[in-house]
Amino acid sequence: MPSDQNPWTSGGNGSGRPPTGPAPVPPWGGPPRRLPPPELHHLWNLLRRLLNGGPRVLAALFIGAVAIWLATGFFRVQPDEQGLVLRFGAYNRSAPPGLNYCLPYPFESVLLLPVTRINRVEIGFRSENDEDQPVPRSPTGMSTPESDQPERDLSEESLMLTGDENIVDINVAVFWRISNAYAYAFNTRNPAYTVKSAAESVLRQVIGHTLIQSALTEGRAAIEEAVTTGTQKILDQYGTGVEITQVQLQKVDPPPEVIESFRDVQRANTDADRARNEAQAYANDIVPRARGDAAAVVAQAEGQKAAAIANATGEAQRFLDVYEAYAQAKDVTLKRLYIETMQDVLSHADVTVVDDKLRNLLPVLPLGGNGRAPAEAPR
Amino acid sequence: MNRWLTAGAVVAIFVFVVVHLSFFEVGQTDMVLITELGDPQRVISDPGLHAKLPLLQNAIVFDRRLLDFESSPEEVILGDQRRLKVDSFARYRITNPLQYYQAVGPSEDAIHARLDSVVTSSLRRVLGSETLLDVLSNQRTRIMASIQKQVNGEMAGFGVDVIDVRLRRADLPAENTQAILQRMQSERDRVARQARAEGAEAAARIKADADRQRTVILADAGATANTRRGEGEAQAIAIYANAFGRDPAFFATWRTLQAYRESLSSGHDHLILSPDNDFLRLLQGPK
Repeated sequence: MPSDQNPWTSGGNGSGRPPTGPAPVPPWGGPPRRLPPPELHHLWNLLRRLLNGGPRVLAALFIGAVAIWLATGFFRVQPDEQGLVLRFGAYNRSAPPGLNYCLPYPFESVLLLPVTRINRVEIGFRSENDEDQPVPRSPTGMSTPESDQPERDLSEESLMLTGDENIVDINVAVFWRISNAYAYAFNTRNPAYTVKSAAESVLRQVIGHTLIQSALTEGRAAIEEAVTTGTQKILDQYGTGVEITQVQLQKVDPPPEVIESFRDVQRANTDADRARNEAQAYANDIVPRARGDAAAVVAQAEGQKAAAIANATGEAQRFLDVYEAYAQAKDVTLKRLYIETMQDVLSHADVTVVDDKLRNLLPVLPLGGNGRAPAEAPR
Repeated sequence: MNRWLTAGAVVAIFVFVVVHLSFFEVGQTDMVLITELGDPQRVISDPGLHAKLPLLQNAIVFDRRLLDFESSPEEVILGDQRRLKVDSFARYRITNPLQYYQAVGPSEDAIHARLDSVVTSSLRRVLGSETLLDVLSNQRTRIMASIQKQVNGEMAGFGVDVIDVRLRRADLPAENTQAILQRMQSERDRVARQARAEGAEAAARIKADADRQRTVILADAGATANTRRGEGEAQAIAIYANAFGRDPAFFATWRTLQAYRESLSSGHDHLILSPDNDFLRLLQGPK
């Protein structure tokens, strides 16, 4: 930034602290001085007497002033800081944490940088406690690089095109720290803002050849990795003295207008899974039942088979027993069986005996007594 | 005494003013152009304390650091006739303060105005022969490099070196964005419908298969059951045949008698018999 400047105050962005060196002479060009008030009058008399006190007093006064001036060169570097000592504006040496000394104004000045602090840059959103960018504090009037970060519409910043010409809504936090205090302080203007510009450019480039499905799901780690290395490369090329420690994808969503449709796809997948599960439950219900029914049917049939065989065996055995007994005396046994059977049968039935020779007689038959037709006699 | 004092004070003030006007600091981040009555003399680029002629010479300070520049968002037409809203930034360094000073003067606004028009026209030129897919793809690095080369070439006369020109945003204009959103929505609807339909398909398959299994299992069981019954009957027949085959005549008689006993034992049967009946034969007396 070229500008005509008073050569004794370098820089000039105006955000530095007031110098702590010897106080500048106040502009005493106000109204013409009148008679001093009584106290000042006494002081004036004292000064007059001192000045008239001879060279010794003058020398003592002079030495005292010089000692105070020299003492303003002490400064403290906090544990998280690094100091850069400038002699007549030129870098001279760096100062470690602790108590340090530099020549007082106007010979040397100190620039202090918070080198261990992890800073955060947000793309696509602003968190509530927006940490200010690191502005190096300057105890000796040296002005410092300043970040004047223009505020932007965040949705414009967070919406970006993917490789398949879809749009995603991405929020990213970039964490960085000063890795080289000299480079950070002297190589680039607005290094903190440069981090943001570079990260945003790289992020959009990376998303530009990522497919939306990958960006929304498994590609996040790869995107973070690519943004970290890409941004670091640019920052190294610029010589900013900044190290990217981490890139965090805070949010990767479809744009708000279509997010409902994306959720509906998830719901549809859930619905499909549920339909499958319900069908599987149905299958798991009816197939085992069918197997049980089948087993019952087979078991019943096997029971019937065993029963048929057992019946047959029993009857056959009975017959064989009877037959063996019959074989001892065939005629008699046969007759006896016949007669016993007839006796048994006839004793339970109404019997009518009809002789052929009495054909003309009206047979006296108790027909229709109980509606049953007379049985034909066995021959 | 007082006279000495006054003289000393006057000399001291004079010396201070001369020193103040002849010495100046060049900051670590600065370069200084010395002009003598407006005529450029020399450039001081090593920081520290330097001297100049008081009053005659003037020191103009330039920034030695890498400087940032942001161009305003531009709508450009790509090679495939699509519109793209492009937002870029550049990083440059003042390499020749004299040339810089002669070209645009000490103000930074002037060089930014130049840069803005050069970057914009270069963007239009380069992007005008690229397609949207190229801009979105890995080609972007090449595109940005060629823009940087063009811009740097055109800015060479201004005493600056343009280190880098980068596209920050490359977005479609609002009306295309709306079309993309609609397409995304319809595409998601398609995917959702397909997912639901595939779920229904799978469910139908699983159910039908279960029904088939049930039918097959039950039919198999019926077949097995009938086979078992048949086996049982066959064995029973064999057993009967084996036993009764010993004396078929006796079996017939015995079995018939047994049947009489069982079928005629209800107590409600009427039998009409002939006296010729074997059992009743003796009713007519022994013969």
